[in-house]
Amino acid sequence: MNAPALASPPAAVAPPAKILLLGLGNDILSDDAVGLSIAREIRRRLSDSEGIEVRESSEMGLSLLDEIAGFDDLVLVDAIQTGQAPPGFVHQLDGDDLRVLPGGSPHFVGVGEMLALGRRLGLPVPRRVQVFAVEVKDPFTVGESMTSPLLRAFPAVVELVLGATRRLRDETAAS
Amino acid sequence: MNSATQQAWNQGNLNANAAAQAQRRRVTIDPITRLEGHGKIDIFLDAQGDVERAYLQVPELRGFEVFSIGRPAEEMPQITSRICGVCPTAHHMAATKALDDLYQVEPPPAARKIRELVYNAFVLEDHALHVYILGGPDFIVGPQAPPEKRNVVGVIEKVGVEVGKKVITMRRRLRELIAYFGGKVIHPVLGLPGGVSKGLKPEDLPPFKALADDALDFALFTLQVFKDLVLKNPDYVKLITGDTYTHRTYYMGMVDANNKVNFYDGLIRVVDATGKEYAKFPARQYRDFVAEHVEPWSYVKFCFLKPLGWHGFEEGPQSGIYAVAPLARLNVADGMASPKAQQAYEEFFNTLGGKPVHHTLANHWARVVEMIFAAERLVELINDPEITSSDLRVIPTAKPVVGVGVVEAPRGTLFHHYETDANGIITKANLIVATQNNAARIAMSVDKAAKGLIKKGHVSEGLLNMVEMAFRAYDPCFGCATHSLPGHLPLCVSIYDPQRNLVRQLTQS
Repeated sequence: MNAPALASPPAAVAPPAKILLLGLGNDILSDDAVGLSIAREIRRRLSDSEGIEVRESSEMGLSLLDEIAGFDDLVLVDAIQTGQAPPGFVHQLDGDDLRVLPGGSPHFVGVGEMLALGRRLGLPVPRRVQVFAVEVKDPFTVGESMTSPLLRAFPAVVELVLGATRRLRDETAAS
Repeated sequence: MNSATQQAWNQGNLNANAAAQAQRRRVTIDPITRLEGHGKIDIFLDAQGDVERAYLQVPELRGFEVFSIGRPAEEMPQITSRICGVCPTAHHMAATKALDDLYQVEPPPAARKIRELVYNAFVLEDHALHVYILGGPDFIVGPQAPPEKRNVVGVIEKVGVEVGKKVITMRRRLRELIAYFGGKVIHPVLGLPGGVSKGLKPEDLPPFKALADDALDFALFTLQVFKDLVLKNPDYVKLITGDTYTHRTYYMGMVDANNKVNFYDGLIRVVDATGKEYAKFPARQYRDFVAEHVEPWSYVKFCFLKPLGWHGFEEGPQSGIYAVAPLARLNVADGMASPKAQQAYEEFFNTLGGKPVHHTLANHWARVVEMIFAAERLVELINDPEITSSDLRVIPTAKPVVGVGVVEAPRGTLFHHYETDANGIITKANLIVATQNNAARIAMSVDKAAKGLIKKGHVSEGLLNMVEMAFRAYDPCFGCATHSLPGHLPLCVSIYDPQRNLVRQLTQS
């Protein structure tokens, strides 16, 4: 007997592990677009069968909850400006680094706070979070192109993020 | 090289460096535009160890006008909403209204109502975010709570998980309404000169009617939460009304034909520190009333009332400094245009000693009053028979020259001003954002808080928090880079001795 088609899988059957690569940024603020550009490039390079969903977002804080809900693993790619590393340097953080909850900051809910809030409210937020924060030179000038040092570093950054995302997926599949 | 040559060489180098530095300084403090970024506060102490002056510094967003010039004016609602991830709908709407003005075209009533519906949904969700999540750590958790509790999870612990879910769900539903019309919340595609691109199908009406009713319940519930957690606590009320957070300035905000608060359309009204009307003008005349002052230490251009002139960071009737945002809007209006909001408005002024209220921290309460108004407007608009009309556009025919649009963004008055050639190609673009209108008063608040908390070189514990509270009440928009990691605004307070040596640095984390 054929089972009737279900709108969603029954709760008893665990769905396959799902991994989301989410690029963040603003595509008209020069280097601030780097997370979005990396996501686009990785989407182009990935085949559909690889089981990695790629999204881009210019939103932040709480609004991202809607994007990430329902995934097991999350890879975030965003711009950062520490001034402590050359443009294109990739700072890697995991969920523990983001778990620190500083006092409220003006008009902003950070990634760590968003995840903590999602968990506290019992929302299906990713269990594992890996963050790639790409050091940028200029995220404040309105413009559609990234600065040259960042453009030079870009292919290597894409390789690094893509490789790490595939490893994360393989680890999750094996566990 | 002999010593005379060496000396000349060194002197030449010094001169060249000084010239290069002067040049760099001139270039960097002459930004083309000025939205704001991450915060840094520099506090300078005098010989007695008291505060000589405290400065809030923000990096500027550069190149907006250069980027806009040469583009068709019709792109501005999309471009400006992409600049800022905090209030895309406010920029989208101000730009759309500037296009109406540019092409001298009045949208049909249904289009205007749809814009207003979307706009009030946006104000409500944005205010809810601030009340519960961003300002929540100050008031719902409390200013004296330990730092590890003063965050979003601390707020949820205080109000309960169910309330947390309610906030998240209401925001999501309001954003769905915005997305129904605009496609996306972050980059809406709705406003066109003379109308909107999408109407409301009658069959899609029922869920939005239910949403509007729920939104009003939610806003009234929020007022109750605020009363229970804040107003019943005498310490909070003392803090709100305390001198540290009080400035007697002018106020600016938009009012409708009956001088009631309106976020979407109307005239700009200014009242003085006694509450008396000082000016009332249409958007087009903003340059007669608003001027910008530049300080050597900041990228921000500080707005002031042009007829009064700039007299420094001073309070009082002679000073042109004014404030915008929820408290200012309530102060400039004669009331609210809907019954429950009016009731909340009266309670607000009765409790705080009559109009105008000068306590910056009262912005949090004023925001709740405005949430009720936004929700009541949603109910009114969604039940208006015209809201499902398909008459959505008047095609512009006039030759474009200049267009000015204004809305009340959640954090205050927002002006967009474009000039074009005969083909509607941008030749000049200027924005005055809410935070810029508030910038002088924010600077005064930060300075006053620092002066109150540092005495004879002794820095009070909790300084960072109290100084932050001084500007968080304004809900300042540090929009352009706020999504960036590390995920919180890296506010840093540096304290310098009279010789300008750094003596202490405080950071949030």
